[in-house]
Amino acid sequence: MSKKTVFVGLSGGVDSSVAAKLLQDAGYEVVGVYMKNWSKDLRGMKCPWAEDLADAKRVAVRLMIDFLVWDFEEVYFDKVVKYMLDEYKLGKTPNPDVICNQEIKFKLFFDECLKNGADYVATGHYAKSENGQLMRAKDEKKDQTYFLYRVERRTLERTIFPLGDLRKTEVKQLARDSQLHTADRKESMGVCFVGDVEMRDFLGEYFDAKYGEIIDEQTGKVVGHHKGALFYTLGQRHGLYLGGGLPYYVSARDIKQNKVFVTTDLNCESLWKKSVVLEKVHFISGKPSAGRMEVRVRHQAPLVGATLLEDGKTLVFDDKERALSSGQSIVFYTGRVTLGGGVIS
Amino acid sequence: MIYLDHAAATPISKRALRAMEPYFAEKFFNPSSPYFPAVEVRREYEAAKNTIGGCIGVKGSTLVMTAGATESVNLAFQGFASCLVSEIEHSAVLETARSLPMCEFVRVQANGMIDVEDLATKITEETELVSVGLVNNETGMIQPLKEIAEVVQAERMRRSKCQSSTPLFLHSDASQGLTLLKINAAKLGVDLLTLNAGKVYGPKQVGALYVRHGAILKPVVRGGGQEAGLRSGTENVAGVVGFATALSETAARVDGERKRLTKLKQLLIRELSKNFRVAPLKSHPEIGLIGDEKKQLASFVPLTVLGLDAERLVFMLEERGVLVSTGAACAASKGARSHVLTAMGLSAEAIAGSLRMTLGKLSDEQNVVAAARILTEVIQLERQRLERKK
Repeated sequence: MSKKTVFVGLSGGVDSSVAAKLLQDAGYEVVGVYMKNWSKDLRGMKCPWAEDLADAKRVAVRLMIDFLVWDFEEVYFDKVVKYMLDEYKLGKTPNPDVICNQEIKFKLFFDECLKNGADYVATGHYAKSENGQLMRAKDEKKDQTYFLYRVERRTLERTIFPLGDLRKTEVKQLARDSQLHTADRKESMGVCFVGDVEMRDFLGEYFDAKYGEIIDEQTGKVVGHHKGALFYTLGQRHGLYLGGGLPYYVSARDIKQNKVFVTTDLNCESLWKKSVVLEKVHFISGKPSAGRMEVRVRHQAPLVGATLLEDGKTLVFDDKERALSSGQSIVFYTGRVTLGGGVIS
Repeated sequence: MIYLDHAAATPISKRALRAMEPYFAEKFFNPSSPYFPAVEVRREYEAAKNTIGGCIGVKGSTLVMTAGATESVNLAFQGFASCLVSEIEHSAVLETARSLPMCEFVRVQANGMIDVEDLATKITEETELVSVGLVNNETGMIQPLKEIAEVVQAERMRRSKCQSSTPLFLHSDASQGLTLLKINAAKLGVDLLTLNAGKVYGPKQVGALYVRHGAILKPVVRGGGQEAGLRSGTENVAGVVGFATALSETAARVDGERKRLTKLKQLLIRELSKNFRVAPLKSHPEIGLIGDEKKQLASFVPLTVLGLDAERLVFMLEERGVLVSTGAACAASKGARSHVLTAMGLSAEAIAGSLRMTLGKLSDEQNVVAAARILTEVIQLERQRLERKK
């Protein structure tokens, strides 16, 4: 029997390189693919893609596997960046990683892999795929199912997540043991596709600054100015350069009037919600269900109890949840299985 | 580690490093200050400039010290409206040239030499600056600067006859080549010459622009008026002293080093020939030699491994401790194909397989033989991998 071929997305980071190594050790014929999603340099910001690409290729060379570069820039801009900008324009807080997984990695990339002869497709995500079900990774802290809840069952059936049973420290150790230079690479932060860039700086490239007032909700006083209400997220603490005193949190925004409201009161009513209405609700199994479940309101947030009502879109939390923004995803679980999720409307 | 990329960077000479040291702490003074210790530093700075000038047959006062060759090039182009440059120039020249209102490009021949006839036809009445690098940084081809200078001189004569007041200058970027060629700026016939300390075993971010008497330039960096007003900013005394030490050391050894490296280059090619057909590209070899050896700087061994991806080879070599550069579409160069090899008309396959190995001080018989052995090994491994797939 000939070897099964698996295409693995190599990003140049430690996770995907160890994923490739593990697949090779497991006896697969491995092909590494770098997805070129973004190569534009923004003013004063360095996009690290060239370095990432070189690192990805180094891994392929180290493992003596084939290496391909697929240019998805145009589609990526249309499906992910544009979507993100449009959502921000509407005053929402979208999650580009969720859309990237849905549209690029587990659709465009996936289909392209199959077209090019892949039996399976793999990525370096911390998650598990079992019989078409998406399970949380063993390393709860690294679990990335929050970003993956919009993928389809048919895709999962042919997807391998080699890191699902590993902890990050083990992955790094494996990289070191296999002499993969990615072992000690600094993890990227900021906007996923651009590199070490704060979302607000990135948005600043696309939206003109529109100066407006920052108003203390409790006193009604103007306590500062901002460059655009769109740039602020509910519950956000950082980046409100108001100086001194108690920290301020964004409690509300008026996009039309370009006003940002803040509060020093962590328990401020407007920041806490008992229930939300979801849109774009997606169930991986294809069979919507309602009732009690555990949910995660953001990546790495603790699991909390909630009930999805029979209408399939109203989610009622057991206890109030803080700082929920529209555009943000909420992901449903039962046990270790990721059922799906939806977007706060 | 076997370092075969002397065209990219050179390790600083020990003497140069030692010579620089006092200027960071004990002799930290600003050369423009009035008191004696500072005056002394100024004198030492001027002496260093004279040493650098001496290596190319000019006075120190004709040199504008800069923070590297790129800045020198930018200064050389400043204020001109129309230029003519070769299409194989380093990006420092190409990008600066493109920033001028008018810019024309001279063709290169298949052997990597500039087409001087094409240059002659492309000089127009408006051309103010012609710029051709002395040694191409990818192929090592030594360009016919004297012939070019004659063409430029002929145009100057023509202009003076018809009483045209448009000036015409010749600039050459001599970043590459100073380690193996004896250069006399006056004999070369250039008005402006860019020098680079980082390529001659001196410190990086130190360079100079030779400005022939009478050539009038505009500053890029303005301020206190140092370097005859052409490059303001407190003098980089340590850097210039390091440059002077390194360059004079290098210049004294030009002939011997050229002979030594010529032998090493032949050895490298011979060693590779044990396993592969190594020959000029046109004779369909397995490893193609790029350029024309007769007019190539001895330190350059640019070649192409046909059918293979040079960047993979670079990474495989790197794993085995051999550091070389690629002329191919490489990730580090943002996927852009070498404009030099493209202009020379190399096929996509030849460009994809192109490696640039450049010899220098760190090269000797032993490591050249080892490099050839390791390169042979990785080529064979890559071929086996591709074979297995079929």
